[in-house]
Amino acid sequence: MKHAIDRYVDSLLRRRRPKGFAPTEDDLAVARVAIDLSAAVPDAQRPREAFVEDLRRRLIDQQESSRPTPAPPPAYRPRGRRRFLAATALTATGVAAAVATDLAVTGSGSGAATLAGGDLTADTGGWQTVAAAADLPEGTVLPFDLGSVNGFLRRESGRFQAVSGVCTHQGCRLHLDTPRDRLACPCHGATFSVAGAPLTRPHGSSPLPALPRLPVRVDGQDVQVFAPFVKE
Amino acid sequence: MTAARREVPGAAPQRPAAEPPRVLPTAAYPGWEAIYADNVERIYRLMYTKVGNRHDAEDLTSQVFLTALGPLRTTASVGEVRSYLLTTARTVLASHWRSTLGHQVTVIDVDAVDLEDCTPGAEDEPAGRTAERLGAILSGLPERQRAILTLRFLRGYSIKAAAAELGVTVANAKVLQHRALRRAAGLDKEGEAS
Repeated sequence: MKHAIDRYVDSLLRRRRPKGFAPTEDDLAVARVAIDLSAAVPDAQRPREAFVEDLRRRLIDQQESSRPTPAPPPAYRPRGRRRFLAATALTATGVAAAVATDLAVTGSGSGAATLAGGDLTADTGGWQTVAAAADLPEGTVLPFDLGSVNGFLRRESGRFQAVSGVCTHQGCRLHLDTPRDRLACPCHGATFSVAGAPLTRPHGSSPLPALPRLPVRVDGQDVQVFAPFVKE
Repeated sequence: MTAARREVPGAAPQRPAAEPPRVLPTAAYPGWEAIYADNVERIYRLMYTKVGNRHDAEDLTSQVFLTALGPLRTTASVGEVRSYLLTTARTVLASHWRSTLGHQVTVIDVDAVDLEDCTPGAEDEPAGRTAERLGAILSGLPERQRAILTLRFLRGYSIKAAAAELGVTVANAKVLQHRALRRAAGLDKEGEAS
């Protein structure tokens, strides 16, 4: 019988897309050699012009569709009493600014988009230090507030990730529910994993979007998050 | 910056010498289209060396740009843009291997790779690093094993044609190719393949 790795090599030779299989260590070593050899073919590494052009068009489409739209998508538009509740919740916790700028950073329209009056884009931002890398051992979650953006920074498998700290339901500020290792919303009880995935949602609500990720980098000893600078 | 371009004897120049002037790493791109134009071939070439086939290389290149160009500030310097693209490429490749073979078959080492080196204008490539890489794989193989791999991978011979060229049966050629790959992968030591 033909081995799966032989089929894999055969696909590479026939310039086809190889299919996945469950490889042994030996198979992986052979696959690496076959990939190296396939890549060594003169001229194989030049992208097709049709591909380059096609991808350029897709990127244009993407850029155009991701421009901020004046009206938020109907699914997240607060109505009547909910809008009132959202507004009071926001003023009560004083996070209106955070919500507005957070939306500007992620570029996603949502219920509080009407609050985002100013022209805030990530272009006016920069890398801002949130913590020292040494202060964040593996598995820790650290709440942070940069004024323009607040969120939670965590270290997992040696890598840093940050998510927005604003609930995607109606914009309340999340807090870290330490015993359960979750991010919880005080307003309507939505919860998110520390990675930002929605876990529970308020009764009757449609599924919530995940928390937006914030760009993180490590600069020397510092862990930095990319966020808009607070305007004076 | 790269040295003067070497011309490969016999290889017809496939593109007119319309290469854009080299940009300094501290310069910024005028917009995302410039980012794309300058880097699409670099990323594609890099991906191709990691997956060895056009289909996956195209998919992964698309993913890199569709993912990266959204959050990218066009005011970033060329160096920052490239390192961001490279980091994205590493993630995209890792997730590709996770979903196909379940192991990181190849990885992008963002500290070792410089997109500046993945230069468009294939004239440099076959003469330079590719040859080195090839030499590393093929040297140390017995004559006939080297021959079958060269015929199959580099010259695009079918197994039948390669068998005829080497004067063996198709079945023998298959075995020869199988052993050659294992040997090149460091799995079969000398004398084992008898």
